[in-house]
Amino acid sequence: PPLLLPRSIRRAVSLLNAVDAGRFPRLLSRILQKLHLKAESSFSEEEEEKLQIAFSLEKQDLHLVLETISFILEQAVYHNLKPASLQQQLQSIHLDQDKAEAFASAWAAAGQDTIEKFRQRVLTPQKLETIGWQLNLQMAESMQAKLKAPRAVLELGVSNEDSKNTKKVFVEFSHQELFEFYNKLETIQAQLDSLT
Amino acid sequence: MNGRSRDAPQPLRPARRAPSGAGPSRRGGTAPPTAAEGRRAGRRGAAMAAAVGKAAGAAYGHGESGGGRGGGGFLGPRVPAEVEAMARGVQEVGKETFRRLLKVTVNALEGKDCKESVKLIAESSNLSEDQLAFLISGMYTLLREALRLPLSTFKQEVFKEHLKELRIPEDFIVDFSSIVFGNRRPASEGAALVQGSRLPGVQDFKWRVDVAISTSSLARALQPSILMMMKLSDGTAHRFEVPVAKFQELRYNVALILKEMNDLEKRSILKIQD
Repeated sequence: PPLLLPRSIRRAVSLLNAVDAGRFPRLLSRILQKLHLKAESSFSEEEEEKLQIAFSLEKQDLHLVLETISFILEQAVYHNLKPASLQQQLQSIHLDQDKAEAFASAWAAAGQDTIEKFRQRVLTPQKLETIGWQLNLQMAESMQAKLKAPRAVLELGVSNEDSKNTKKVFVEFSHQELFEFYNKLETIQAQLDSLT
Repeated sequence: MNGRSRDAPQPLRPARRAPSGAGPSRRGGTAPPTAAEGRRAGRRGAAMAAAVGKAAGAAYGHGESGGGRGGGGFLGPRVPAEVEAMARGVQEVGKETFRRLLKVTVNALEGKDCKESVKLIAESSNLSEDQLAFLISGMYTLLREALRLPLSTFKQEVFKEHLKELRIPEDFIVDFSSIVFGNRRPASEGAALVQGSRLPGVQDFKWRVDVAISTSSLARALQPSILMMMKLSDGTAHRFEVPVAKFQELRYNVALILKEMNDLEKRSILKIQD
């Protein structure tokens, strides 16, 4: 499937063609690494300034170059393009061969990993990140003596995308309660198994 | 121990107040031991008071007479002041009134509101507010401590013996016994008896398994995901997604805990004597 490229890409392509070929592959890899992170630009202010100097680009032109590279790579992810196909399509929009090849090699090296990271991205704001637990033997409490009841405490670390910090949810279980919970987890597992 | 802790006996407090013989036990049994001692002194003379004062310190862990009559049993090394006060006061109470007081106490243990019933008793009997206070608080403490112990190890004869030592009338001992050992035993779901000190447990657990066919980033995702919604007993609800790998980790850990629980129940418990 062809890449959907906006018309403004022509200016971007000419800029890309002008960029120093030596440093290009590293730039591609770096952008590819952070592609899956939303709302986070791949480069800090400082780094952008260094890039401006390295590639002798004005700030606006640098932004256009970086955005275009990201865009091309995101499209490759979306369509799960083969490296050869990517190269061919880039060349068809008049990107120089050496640059197109650089895209293809970077994609061949890290493409599948990037796609996998995108697969793991969730739309729900809250995600289970960490699991901790503690098993206690409760001997007594204010209302009951001589208990000897095993109790488990599960600590679920749930991340919230908006606040970027992990909320800890503590849940306590008796033996029976934990057993019932486990049965429900087994049911979920059976469902997952039926998918493959 | 946290949450509702019982009033700890205060064995090592020296007798600070001069025996007055007039101070009633405050509700809830927080009256210092010296008030009870004071009353006793008023009845038996100063010599006894001195002995009582000394024995107060020695009673802890000795279960001796003086401050700790009947001490060393289910009521602890030192009988709580309100229970002693109740044991004495109850001798002058009629059977009918006693039974009504007992009913109010059991209701309180089950977490029910008893203000009305207490008012009725106050009106219809000739007991003063102070007397009502220490009678009910004494009965409450007595029963609460007795109900803490599991029936497998706490025997009726031992219980009755203790009450005899406290000089509680025989009829009333029978009534108390039937509450602790009979079928009038307060339901353990009663508010005062249920464990208040625990972390929230799972009240409701819902889940779904989705397969994302396509997303804005991937034309063909085909990625399964699990959505969990947990409602906890403290009222909070948590909804979160669980990546498949994390789910496996959760399942593994829960299975591990269950195995550890089984091992624990098989061995350690047999070694810890009741």
